[in-house]
Amino acid sequence: MNAIVAIARGTFREAVRDRVLFLVVGFGVISLGLSRLLSPIALGEGERVTVDLGLSALGLLGIAIIALVGTNLVHKEIERRTIHVVLSRPVSRTSYLVGKWAGLSLTMAVAVGAMGGILLAVAVSVRGPGAVGPVAQAVLLIILSNTLLAALAVLFSSLSTPILSVVYTLGLYATGYWTNDLRDFAAAMPGGLGGLVRGVSFVIPNLELFNLRPQVAHLQTAPTMQLALAFGYAAAYAAAALALAVVAFERRELK
Amino acid sequence: MISSLGQDWKAAQTPGNWPHGGRPDSGRPAVQVEALGKDFRHPMTQRLKTAVHEVSFDVPEGGVFGLLGPNGAGKTTTLRMLLGLLPATRGQAWLLGRPAGPPESRQDVGFLPENPYFYDHLTALEFLEFSGELAGLPRAGARIQAHELIERVGLTHAANTRMRRYSKGMLQRAGLAHALMGRPRLLFLDEPMSGLDPIGRREVVDLIRDLKQQGTTVVFSSHILHDVEVLCDRIAILRAGRLLASGTLDALLAHKGTGAELVVRPRGSLALPPEFLGVTIETLGAGTRLWIEDGTRASALVARLAGQGHEIVSLTPERQSLEDLFMGMFEGAHDVGGDPERSLNEERRAQQ
Repeated sequence: MNAIVAIARGTFREAVRDRVLFLVVGFGVISLGLSRLLSPIALGEGERVTVDLGLSALGLLGIAIIALVGTNLVHKEIERRTIHVVLSRPVSRTSYLVGKWAGLSLTMAVAVGAMGGILLAVAVSVRGPGAVGPVAQAVLLIILSNTLLAALAVLFSSLSTPILSVVYTLGLYATGYWTNDLRDFAAAMPGGLGGLVRGVSFVIPNLELFNLRPQVAHLQTAPTMQLALAFGYAAAYAAAALALAVVAFERRELK
Repeated sequence: MISSLGQDWKAAQTPGNWPHGGRPDSGRPAVQVEALGKDFRHPMTQRLKTAVHEVSFDVPEGGVFGLLGPNGAGKTTTLRMLLGLLPATRGQAWLLGRPAGPPESRQDVGFLPENPYFYDHLTALEFLEFSGELAGLPRAGARIQAHELIERVGLTHAANTRMRRYSKGMLQRAGLAHALMGRPRLLFLDEPMSGLDPIGRREVVDLIRDLKQQGTTVVFSSHILHDVEVLCDRIAILRAGRLLASGTLDALLAHKGTGAELVVRPRGSLALPPEFLGVTIETLGAGTRLWIEDGTRASALVARLAGQGHEIVSLTPERQSLEDLFMGMFEGAHDVGGDPERSLNEERRAQQ
């Protein structure tokens, strides 16, 4: 456990001092500012649009951190052989991957959380105190969905090159919001093909589970059941992705 | 400058102060390697290439062991197999009595990789704390030890500088400090002098000697023969993944077939019998120096001369340098004492 905490802390320190993270967070702040500027042209829906665009910007910020920092995480260490420094200690490869995932998730959570705090202040100023609960829940689920994507990024990074890892991670992020539609398509397809597409729709992370923007638009909080389901799903999916990464990584030769 | 640490460090290095309470496995070699081998598959052609053939050697506790060979000999691959970074294709090994490979085998083990490259955005102090925690130290203990080692390797002035600003030599020093975090009983150093200037190299030599005095077993790979000759008690020589020889440096350098120098103080005239006609004689003031090409006949000559009443001052078998041995082996000119694995087995039987 000590090793996991140490690796997570090291990963976090490395990431927050990297210029890439500053660029991503800078982009996030600009996006939030733009969403506020765009509100006057939203035909009376300005307040709603501000918060909605802000939540979208937070989601993009999270996935940008995962893609730019996370997909390079393990691969870079193998290339530079810094991984030898870690694994020549009494540290298992499982602890290493879990530590990397935890460090990446922490980096993303701090950045998204900080931006979420700004968004919360903006939301309260434009929509009143009733926005606190719904917006806080929405930010929390964005963080949660990104921990799941971080596990996928660690999986891809431990198996593939950074570029391919970015492609795979972004691909799953994009399709993750269409899993329900994919199941509808599958139902309309002939037998075998329909079954295959339906199967694929269960492998792709169901990111729609983490989308609370419709509730935020109506200033409604999500039912506890939905939150619990999202937590359970994220935990199970991240655990499965990390378990796969461990199985593959255990056999990897660190030349 | 790499300086000696204070009493705390030395006290901690004494066997009674080891964190796990003494050395339950003392008496066993620190490293045992039996028929260890590694094949790599070419990613495109899928053809197997053997990087290390069946290699066997022992490293006794408390000594300095040199893994010697030219580039591509398999030194680094062997070290990586021992540390569990690469799975062995065949054979087995033990570190401090534990089977090599699983994380537990690396308890009490330190490693300096070749051309170390660390985390750009961490300072040396942060990195060493991190390394200490990985070695199982509590955070506060890791911090104290990190400060001690930073001083020991001469990086105090740059302790809080991010390592991306470090020169190659500074990275090497940080790497050495990393390897020493947790006060390991067994230390693997892959080309530890690489990237260091002559002063830095001298400091590393002194450091390794200090560690040896404190009872740490040091295994280091190098292709710099002088470093090996100066530091090692035992060596293993690898070429193209095969073990050419292993054993004590003394035994390997004083191997059969070389000559011997005999110095005598003659009592009367020095008359050599006919069977020693090839011996060269040189007068040295009061004494006489005799050189015999075949050192195995030296004792017969000594007996003969002593029998004639001459005073024997000294008999020195010719000791070749490590460079002579190494170059000879690589030119295929020398027999280096037979089958090294057979030698090892004989050595083990003798120990039993």
